[in-house]
Amino acid sequence: MKYDITVIGSGPGGYIAAVRCAQLGMKVAIVEKYNTLGGTCLNVGCIPSKALLDSSEHYFNAQHTFSEHGIGVGKLELDFPQMIKRKSEVVGVTTGGVEYLMKKNKIDVFTGMGSFKDKNTILVSGEKEQTIQTDKVIIATGSKPSTLPFIKIDKKRVITSTEALELQKLPKSMTIIGAGIIGCELGSVYARLGTKVTIVEYLDRIVPGMDKDIAKELMRSMKKNLKIDFQLSHKVTAVSTTTRSTTVTAENKKGESVEFKAEYCLVAVGRRPYTEGLGLEHIGVSTDERGRIPVDEHFQTAVPGVYAIGDVIKGAMLAHKAEEEGVCVAEFIAGQKPHINYRLIPGVVYTWPEGAGVGYLEEELKEMGREYKVGKFPFKASGRARASMDTEGFVKVIADKETDEILGVHMLGPRIADLIAEAVVAMEYRATAEDIGRMSHAHPTFAEAMKEAALDAWAGMPLNI
Amino acid sequence: MSIVEIRVPEIGESVTEVTLSQWLKSDGDYVEMDEEIAEFESDKATLEFPSPNAGILHIIAEEGSDLQVGDLVCKIDTAAAKPAATATPATTPSPEPTPVAKADPTPVKAEPVSSGKPGKVEEIRVPEIGESINEVTLVAWLKEDGDIVALDEEIAEFDSDKATLEFPSPFAGKLKIIASEGEDLKVGDLVCTIDTGFAGASAPAPSAATPAPAAQPAPTPAPAPTPTPQPAPATKSHATGHPSPAAAKAMAENNIAPTQISGSGPDGRITKQDVLAFLRDGGTAPADQVVAAVEASGGSREQSRKKMSRMRRTISRRLVAVKNETAMLTTFNDVDMSKVMAIRNQYKKVFEEKHGIRLGFMSFFIKACANALMKYPAVNAYIDGDDMITNNFADVSIAVSTPKGLVVPVIRNAESLSMAGLEGKVRELAKKGRDGNLSLEEMTGGTFTITNGGVFGSLMSTPIINAPQSAILGMHRIEERPVVIDGQVVVKPMMYLALSYDHRIIDGKESVGFLVEVKNQLQNPEQLLLGADPVKLVLGL
Repeated sequence: MKYDITVIGSGPGGYIAAVRCAQLGMKVAIVEKYNTLGGTCLNVGCIPSKALLDSSEHYFNAQHTFSEHGIGVGKLELDFPQMIKRKSEVVGVTTGGVEYLMKKNKIDVFTGMGSFKDKNTILVSGEKEQTIQTDKVIIATGSKPSTLPFIKIDKKRVITSTEALELQKLPKSMTIIGAGIIGCELGSVYARLGTKVTIVEYLDRIVPGMDKDIAKELMRSMKKNLKIDFQLSHKVTAVSTTTRSTTVTAENKKGESVEFKAEYCLVAVGRRPYTEGLGLEHIGVSTDERGRIPVDEHFQTAVPGVYAIGDVIKGAMLAHKAEEEGVCVAEFIAGQKPHINYRLIPGVVYTWPEGAGVGYLEEELKEMGREYKVGKFPFKASGRARASMDTEGFVKVIADKETDEILGVHMLGPRIADLIAEAVVAMEYRATAEDIGRMSHAHPTFAEAMKEAALDAWAGMPLNI
Repeated sequence: MSIVEIRVPEIGESVTEVTLSQWLKSDGDYVEMDEEIAEFESDKATLEFPSPNAGILHIIAEEGSDLQVGDLVCKIDTAAAKPAATATPATTPSPEPTPVAKADPTPVKAEPVSSGKPGKVEEIRVPEIGESINEVTLVAWLKEDGDIVALDEEIAEFDSDKATLEFPSPFAGKLKIIASEGEDLKVGDLVCTIDTGFAGASAPAPSAATPAPAAQPAPTPAPAPTPTPQPAPATKSHATGHPSPAAAKAMAENNIAPTQISGSGPDGRITKQDVLAFLRDGGTAPADQVVAAVEASGGSREQSRKKMSRMRRTISRRLVAVKNETAMLTTFNDVDMSKVMAIRNQYKKVFEEKHGIRLGFMSFFIKACANALMKYPAVNAYIDGDDMITNNFADVSIAVSTPKGLVVPVIRNAESLSMAGLEGKVRELAKKGRDGNLSLEEMTGGTFTITNGGVFGSLMSTPIINAPQSAILGMHRIEERPVVIDGQVVVKPMMYLALSYDHRIIDGKESVGFLVEVKNQLQNPEQLLLGADPVKLVLGL
């Protein structure tokens, strides 16, 4: 039989594309290299890291804040293998959910490495070899952790995020190369559990791409609460290992060579598109200088009928960006004309406090020469935040000076990964700061901070500060 | 000076609305009494409209607008002198540049708005439109919220059961929209308000009236907003015309630009509903989506769209109404035309010499039907409420195709007209129909209709009754067909006849009997002429 669509890769981009295609009446096949569906996000990314972040946050609170709440827990014990086990169970249930979705939408799942024989024939190399005849193909093979040329990832001592989610014993110390989202999140997990964490970063700031105030305040918080040692403006030059330890050599601002020794070295310098073994050469598709597959505005590659979405193409490597593209490509194929506003795809870091942002950064607006105004509200002034002892962070609303249109919203604080959705809705409708300031926000909530920051941005008149 | 308001007159019993198809005079022209100033198009005919007064014409209703009987068409300044004196006060705006004079060049309009006074906010409600209309739908705002509107300028479009009406502003001033597009409103419901204080301010509203958010005091140093003069009208903002994500998708799929739609969301944002309403009301058709799905094969795929003429709209409404409201069905028969054709061939020349007119087939059919109608009165009757009206005359409507659509002029007392009389009448009415010169009178009434699809080559059809009549005869093309007569296959010029009838008052026995009677008369033309079998007549049977 011939499929209308074959999706290669079952991550959040691929499986969502498959579901939407099926909903639009297409006969769909999905090819997954691994035995579980869900890709990086569900297996070794978003979901397991959040499981460990939440577990470690509970542990941290039990240790540091429960007594203030009036809760004594006696001798606190960490059962690290149980923590990892629970994480695996969460992953199991979640990937099982994707399997259910495939069944529900009558999508045929092929397990094995998918590759192109030609643009209408996909070879699946798994336990047995199969070929799939298909009219169109969506490449959604995602990305892999990347490294630096001189670093050898041995997966034992020098590890990536994938291994960092599977450790069986809590490390005493860990050097993390890269203070991006992954470095900060996994650094938080281990630092909360008691690992001595050092983060070495080439830039002079953490979480590049996010608002500067968030970076500054988050680093301050992680230093103070988690005792993480941040080494900014350090260029890593070498990583060496023994069986029990690692040494990261870096060059500091003054040009001096410094060494960071630890049990583990986590390389968190980013991710690269994953196209190895896909057989792109058989259909005449080549990748760009960063390994990405070039696509047009309808996600079509140079070969008609072959599409690509998610981490394997340009743009932010985010699960929710891949999902939007998955829906879009399905609808384009069905002849519809959807649209993604890339400016309004939020970015989140799941530290505690959480950091999130959407829209323009102040720096970008300055560069554009656009006149803007800023409103800010600290969670210190929020009754809800005080009640839960989560008073770190702020909400920052940037609005056009003339029109009051909200141009960017950046926040650091409790549960703001959920709160950023309000900013996205507002900005999709091009709301003004005043608009948000005039909408009722339930009291007491963290969301009130958004309203107050908007009132501040609008006319400098927040009500509760 | 005296101004006379000219309204749409009572035109005929069943005509309640007309379309103003054309102005024959221009605004400001001097018109004589009874001079034709405008052309109206009703359901049935085009009428020229003579001016009831002499004076200077001030046009109110626009060409193409649909008007109800009693609607204001124009005003005539009867005090104005003949055109020799061009500088009449009526056409010259007051030299002072008062805002009122600017917006309202005509003097009458000065009444509701006295220039110097502070504005008064007038509430505008749905007016009494017609006897049976108590609810309308606000189809579209023709002006935007905050616009400055002139007196009698059309500001909104209403849809009633009967027609689409453009709603002229009863005041000059600044419009504040209350009812939203698509809303159903009762007579007397609030539609909008007009702040007459703004009359004439055609330029952007003064910034003082613009409640710009920036005008708030700012205690913090960061944003020190100053009241910025808004170049656009008050409700315009950076987001005016910005579509919601769902609206943006629908617009992209239908090739609609944001400028084509006026958004009904806050500050003119375009909602999904706006896009759907735009498409429903005749916006760009989703041609592009079809192209995408079909993978255009190269040829041109243009579509065009225009509003149906009032006549076409009336025809469509009536036809559907008949289908819905009657128990219509069709019975068929066929007729051997040899004898009619033989007579026609034999007498064609003589007939034309004698009567100056060609002998066609139509007269035979009308005659046959008229005779049959006398024999089967139910076919000639119609329902009025719970009553049944029978007629002792056969007024036969003839369907005539004209460039504007189908018209059905009536041949009165067809039962008592001679063949030459019938033929002459047919010719006269057909010509008038084609030239658009049929009077209302000539198209009203009728107790039965004949339509001839044969002229276009139709083999068989099921015509729709011409309400309130109860039956219609469909003629078709004549073609030679093999028929069996006395066990022999012979070739005869045959025509199928169709009779659609309203089963509510005509039974099968009558309808079939009627059609058989028509058939018999046509196959035995001697009966046609005498209205009965000549032998039986002679024998007194």
